[in-house]
Amino acid sequence: MKPVFKGILWAVLGAILGIALLVVIRLAFGLPAWKAGPAVAMGYLFGLSGWLLGVGVWDYWALGWLGRPNKQYTTTGWRRYFDFDTDHKVIGIQYGVLLVILFLIAGLLAMVVRYELMRPGRDLLNSAEYNNMMSLHGTTMVFVAVATIMGAFGNYLVPIMIGADDMAYPRLNALSFWFVPPVGFLLLGAALAGGYDTGWTGYTPLATVTRMGAMFYNLAFLTIGFSSILGSINIITTVITMRAPGLTWGRLPIFVWSILGTAALSMLFTQFVGLAMLMTVLDRVAGFSFFDPSRGGNPILYQHVFWFYSHPAVYVMILPAFGIALEIISHFARKPLFAYKWAVAGMLGVVVMSAIVWAHHMFTAGLEEKLAIPFMISTELISVPTGMVFLAALGTLWHGKLNLKTPMLFALAVIFNFLIGGITGVFLSDVPVDMHLQDTYFVVAHFHYTIVGGGIFGLFAGIYYWFPKMTGRMYNEKLGKLHFWWMFIGFNLTFLPMFWLGINGMNRRIADYMPQLGGLNMWVSMAAFFLGASFIVFVYNMVVSWVRGEQAAANPWGARTLEWLIPSPPPLHNFPTEPQVVDDPYGYGVPGSVHARLAAAPSPAPASD
Amino acid sequence: MNRDGVIVAILWVVMTAIGEWIALTARFMPMVGAEEAAVIDEAFTLLLVLAVPVATLVLAFFFYSILRFRAKDGEETQEGPPVRGNNALAILWVLGSLILAVYIVFNPGLKGIRELEASKGQEELVIQIEGVQWHWNVSYPDYDLSYERALQIALPVDTRVRFDITSQDVLHSVWVPAFRMKMDAVPGRVTTLYVTPTEVGDFSVDPNLRVQCAELCGTGHPLMRMDVRVLEPEEFQEWIQEAKEMVMGSGMEGMDMSGQEMSGEMSGDMSGEKSGESSSDSQ
Repeated sequence: MKPVFKGILWAVLGAILGIALLVVIRLAFGLPAWKAGPAVAMGYLFGLSGWLLGVGVWDYWALGWLGRPNKQYTTTGWRRYFDFDTDHKVIGIQYGVLLVILFLIAGLLAMVVRYELMRPGRDLLNSAEYNNMMSLHGTTMVFVAVATIMGAFGNYLVPIMIGADDMAYPRLNALSFWFVPPVGFLLLGAALAGGYDTGWTGYTPLATVTRMGAMFYNLAFLTIGFSSILGSINIITTVITMRAPGLTWGRLPIFVWSILGTAALSMLFTQFVGLAMLMTVLDRVAGFSFFDPSRGGNPILYQHVFWFYSHPAVYVMILPAFGIALEIISHFARKPLFAYKWAVAGMLGVVVMSAIVWAHHMFTAGLEEKLAIPFMISTELISVPTGMVFLAALGTLWHGKLNLKTPMLFALAVIFNFLIGGITGVFLSDVPVDMHLQDTYFVVAHFHYTIVGGGIFGLFAGIYYWFPKMTGRMYNEKLGKLHFWWMFIGFNLTFLPMFWLGINGMNRRIADYMPQLGGLNMWVSMAAFFLGASFIVFVYNMVVSWVRGEQAAANPWGARTLEWLIPSPPPLHNFPTEPQVVDDPYGYGVPGSVHARLAAAPSPAPASD
Repeated sequence: MNRDGVIVAILWVVMTAIGEWIALTARFMPMVGAEEAAVIDEAFTLLLVLAVPVATLVLAFFFYSILRFRAKDGEETQEGPPVRGNNALAILWVLGSLILAVYIVFNPGLKGIRELEASKGQEELVIQIEGVQWHWNVSYPDYDLSYERALQIALPVDTRVRFDITSQDVLHSVWVPAFRMKMDAVPGRVTTLYVTPTEVGDFSVDPNLRVQCAELCGTGHPLMRMDVRVLEPEEFQEWIQEAKEMVMGSGMEGMDMSGQEMSGEMSGDMSGEKSGESSSDSQ
């Protein structure tokens, strides 16, 4: 825990230094010493630097830049999870646990939101408080959806699945994780600073004139953006350069392909949302006028820059879930992944096309009319590569031997839910229909079907699938199935009626609505509480199984990718010797086929660890 | 074609028939209050009709596979046939989805856009709407009528109306659910929206005859709405006259056009809400 306390101390000192510097500069220019906006920005910038240096960058990394020896890393046991540990497996669990906690908190916020919406009129919250809750829920969930699969499973499993002993840049990997706790701190800080009412999209000019909490949102998005970019550079380098001998591109597990595609999106596009956030902060604290029309700025520019990242970002949320779903479907149907190359091509097609669809979020924003047409076309065409994933899933199920265990159930739910999410997306891509449905609960239902129904169900598929590998213990299968059915039914009961609400005049982000929609909103709220309660089963199962679950075998699923060839949990450097990959991991139905051979392990393992 | 394939094909046909029956007979959309609404509803229904066979194809394969190919007890470690794929099927799949995607670009996409643009430049009435946190200001330049904190607007039936929309502060959006049309109000520029109302009525007849702010604009967002009254042309003229008298006189509240009531309702929520530090810059 010491590094965390040191990080906090250095963060406080950094914040004080930053604010002091600001005061000196302001006094030097003859300005009043104190102004809240710039003080928060400067304090955070210096505080964040202090945090990162204190938590480990200084001791284990930066000393070397100064020509001095870095400190030796000696932490062991559970304390490694609270330290600047460079083992990709520790970092994967750090990401996973922290982000699942954030997910549960954001889920509680959704419960509060649904409580308010249960009846028309005001119940629990006034409009400002409602907007705060809704904005915090959306922002936190977006961060969770962007970062969790990539951070937890991308880190933990990609190196193992390609036969490597760690990531290409282990310290960069640790750094990318330690950017995340400040994001949680900022979201909390936003709530304490009066919240913000801009939703997760932070549209200007509202974001520049509203409560100070909006700037915490800007800074949080910037911070998680750094984490995403660093993490994705690491993944891309690792997958390109560190694959085991014989692991050609055509033999790469589909999950690794999906993470590679996701990393490409993150690396290329995250900078744009960073730019949108930075420009908003500068508008607010330094009197710039990028988005202020009264001084030559353009509020619609924000939306372009924002969506130029944020549409690819929805594929950052969904591609890894597709990868997990296809991976699990093949291993649990005990049949080769159908049309593997087409599925890979589909994913890469989505990566490329996601760059040219962003303005479909802006059909009613005052976009030049002729521009709506190309974005309608590109959006409707992106259904073609997405369809290839469905082909792979259905083709794999056909004539398989389906083991309907919890991970498989979640993986199948990804396909079912995303079918609804994808098809309703086509309605929204149609310019005329979008004139009505834009900014309504139809959109809310649609993106919950894609991001929760696809992305989050994919996350849970991965959690159950890799739980034995990552913890060395089995979860309780009965409770896993109970959680699945409870969550799946609750999810569909909650979000399916929202399509109807949107069509019939309920716009999104409102604390109050037309009384005639009251009955259905009551239904949705009840279903949402039911959905929320399902996570009690999940948390109980995870905590109890992690502490005293049955010991997991190396390969409880009879799966074929490399992580299942080594013990659960894997040893420090993963493989005793470099594995030799001889075929792809989907050779089901061919007697004697194997994915890889581990050279006879020199036993016992070298004592150096 | 094996037995499983035949069953799935039958399932697909049956599910599609049921789905299409629902798509064509069920009424999903609220009241049709304008020509534009009819265009959009037609587009919506066409998309639904096209979506049904796609969804049922996937669902038929999906559910049949889950039920039929489930590993029974003792079969868990058995393996399926080593089928790697089928390029002909994949090409067919891609071509099918491509043709469908291209088709919907033209119909209802481009066709609908063209129909919505048909009344462009042929407006018979202009109404200016300005969004302000958190109310609407409305004016009828043709009639020299304008009023602030509006709680209602009136439109003559079967008349091409152009809304000129702008904002004083942050983004808002003018949405009339019964017309199916919406357009953002953007500070510093004027956006336009064309509607031709076809049904006489008002908010008390159908709550979808209302202007609803559809772009998050801060605390007062949910209540930023006004009633839409679609009137016969002669009634509309009377309404204009009445409104002008009220605006000139002091009896605005008699016609419920002023927004005092709304801000009273919201006052508990809005106290101290507009105090962003640079708000003075943008006001």
